[in-house]
Parts: sequence; C-alpha cells; structure tokens
Amino acid sequence: MEFNVSTFILESINFLVLLWLLQRLFYKPLLKVIAERKQLIEQTLAEAKNQQQQAEEKLALYENRQRQWEQEKQLAFQALQQQIDVERKVQLEKLQLELEQERQKARVTLSLQQQEFQQRMEKQALENGAKFSTILLQQAVGPELELRLFHLLLDKISEFPEVIKQHLMGAGEMDIPPKVKVTSAYPLTAEMHQQLEQKLMTLMNRAADIQYHQSTELIAGLRLDIGAWVLDANLKHELIGFAEFVYVSK
Amino acid sequence: MENNISFAWGPVQISTSILTTWGIIAMMSLVAWLSTRHLAMLPKGLQTLAEGIVSVIDDAVSAVAPEQTREIMPFIATLWLFLIVANLVGLIPGLHSPTSDLSVTSALAVLVFFSVHWFGIKTLGIKNYLHHYLTPSPILLPFHIISEFTRTIALAIRLFGNMMSLEMAAMLILLVAGFLAPIPILMLHIIEALVQAYIFGMLALIYLAGAMQSQQLNSQE
Repeated sequence: MEFNVSTFILESINFLVLLWLLQRLFYKPLLKVIAERKQLIEQTLAEAKNQQQQAEEKLALYENRQRQWEQEKQLAFQALQQQIDVERKVQLEKLQLELEQERQKARVTLSLQQQEFQQRMEKQALENGAKFSTILLQQAVGPELELRLFHLLLDKISEFPEVIKQHLMGAGEMDIPPKVKVTSAYPLTAEMHQQLEQKLMTLMNRAADIQYHQSTELIAGLRLDIGAWVLDANLKHELIGFAEFVYVSK
Repeated sequence: MENNISFAWGPVQISTSILTTWGIIAMMSLVAWLSTRHLAMLPKGLQTLAEGIVSVIDDAVSAVAPEQTREIMPFIATLWLFLIVANLVGLIPGLHSPTSDLSVTSALAVLVFFSVHWFGIKTLGIKNYLHHYLTPSPILLPFHIISEFTRTIALAIRLFGNMMSLEMAAMLILLVAGFLAPIPILMLHIIEALVQAYIFGMLALIYLAGAMQSQQLNSQE
C-alpha cells in the first residue's frame, strides 16, 4: 500500500473531469427532458382537469336542463291527459245522447212497425173473417133469408124519417116518375115486385120508374137506390159495416 | 502491493489506476452520450435505463436534502456511478479496481471533504458555516475539527480496505483452490462493490446535507 501523490492529484482531476462530462452529457439533458415531460404531464393533467371540470359543469347543466324538460314533459303530459279525459267525457256524453236518441227512434220505429203490423194483421184477420163469413153465408142463404131481408127492406122504407120522406115526395118534376134502382141477389117474385112498388108509391106518393137488377155480390138481400139515397138490406152491406165497425172500435 | 506505475512523464507518474480510470471515464462518457443522443418525450431502450438511474439517484438525494437537490445531485450521482463501475472493474480479468488503490480513494475522500465545505459555505455563507463548529458549545470545536479529518480518512480507508481485501482474497483463493473455487468470492465481490459504492456515496450525501442544513437545524433548535 503506497500513497502516490501523482495518482492522488490525477485522480482528483479525473473525477472532476468525469463530473463535468456527465453533467454536460448525462444529467443536464436527462433532467431537462424529465422536467419537460413532468411539465407536459402536469399541463396535460391540468388540461384534463379543466376539461373534466367543464364536462362536469356541462353535465350538471344538461342534467338540470333534462330535469326541467322532464318536468315540462310531465306537466304537458298531465295537461294532455286532462284534455283527453275531458274530451273523452264530452264525446262519451255526446255518444250516449246520440245512442239514446237512436234508441228512442228505434223504439218509436219499432212501435210504429208493431202497430202497423198489428193493424195489418187485424185488417187481414177481419178480411179473412169477412171472407169466411161470406163463404159461410153464401152456403147458408136461402129463400127464407131472402124473404126476411125483403121484409126488412120494406120495414126500413116504412121507418124512413119524415124529413127524408118529405124530401122524396117533393124531389123532381111531379109528372116525371122518379127512378128507383132495385138490385137483388136473387130474382124477385111478382108478388115481391108488387109489394115493393106499393111500398114505394106510399113513400113517394106517386108511381116510380123501377128498374130491377141482379147481383150475386150482395150474397143475399136487396139494395135500393133512390136518387142520392141508398137503402141496403143485404148481407154484403152488413158484413162490410160489421168489419168497419170492429176496425174502428179497435 | 507491487508498484503499479505504468509510465512516468517527468514528475508525473501514470499508474494503472489512472489508466483504468481514464478507461472508465471514456466508457461512461460514451454511454452517457449514446443514451442522451436522441432524447424523446416517450423514452425507450437506453434512454429509459438512463432516466431510471438518474431518477433513482435524484429521489435518493431529494429524500436527504430536498432543498439542495439540484446543487449536489451531480456530485453524488457521479460518485455513485464512478464507484459502482470502478468497484466492478476488478471482476474483469487483467484489470484492477482503481478503488483498491489508496491514492484513488484518498482523492475521492478529499474531494468529498472539500465539497462539504464548498457547498456549506456556498449555501450558508462563510460566517454562518463556520459558526456551526461552535454549536452547540465552543468546547466541541476541537472535536468537530477532528471529526472532519477522521471521517474523511475513514471514507478513504473503508473503501480502499474493502476493495483491496476482496481482490486479495479472490487472488489467494484462486492460487490455493483452483479454477472454479473463487466464483462465490466473485459474487461476494459484486455485492460488496455495490454496497461500498452505496455507503461511500450515501455518507458523502449525508456530510454534504449536514453541512448545508446545519444553520437551519441550529435555527430550528
């Protein structure tokens, strides 16, 4: 172990040279780039923080706006719902009213149709009844019924009111005999002709121009046409009168 | 230890330690230049390694002397890097660690000695710096002065003794036991080289930080 002054001095110089070289070539450039990177990172971090802050502010703003929109939407929805409810109520009431009117109309129409149908049925029933009666009476008629109806006619002539009798006596020219049309279902006998002419002379106080006709439509009996006056004593007239009476009374 | 003078130029004697040191300086300068040739914001390869080394040393210095990091970091970093390389150079066959030479370790210790006073005076001013020798009591002034010299000598002798003994042990085992026997000793050499470099650099850092922060410590007391 020897201490060499020359080595001591040269080693000191060597170390200082190495220090200078490393300071120039190694530490300074590396520390500089590390500092620049650190500054860049800090700057980037600051920018990121700033952007994050801005983003948070925008987020808060948008959230607030979204909340307001949500509230507005809720209010609008509620208003619309109320409007819909009111409109529905109005439309329902209107529809119910229309329905009630239609129902009423239908009821009236149905009632009218029923009444009409019933009337038609009744009329048809009466007509059928009249037909059946006609058929039955056509089979049941005979000389006795004819004779009775003839006597009934004579009785009716006798029972004419005085006003009508006066009228018949004074109607037309006294020298021209009044025309009388006698329609019967069956031919009348001579005796019946004589009785009728005598009865008419008594009624009108003069001889009449009597014309005799025959019509099976009368079924049985006679019909007497004296000017505007018609005197019926036949089954057809009675059946028609009966049917009209029943129909009117219904 | 044999005389390791390679050649002499007048009164200047160039030893193998100096030659090795020059080689180390050239190699370290070349690596430093290569690693910082194309610096980029996104480091890769050699730049990453270089930045890692500088960052680790910077953090270590900053932990001890946070306010004076920029001033003393180059000195401490150069000490650490040079000592690591110089200690490990002995592993290469045919080369000797410069740190196994007392003249080299003495030079480094003396540089630390002067650096302590230089940075102390630069930071505190000469009056404040010299005043810390009188604290906490002027009676302790001789002890402070003795401490300055003894710790410098201790720095030099500790590094020199450890590195010289390691080389000598490895050489003796190689002579006695054969070819593969010194391998564990060589592994121990690696660990010891790193530990000694760390101890020397850390002690230098503590001495420097102590000198620069003595006034602040006194004012806090």
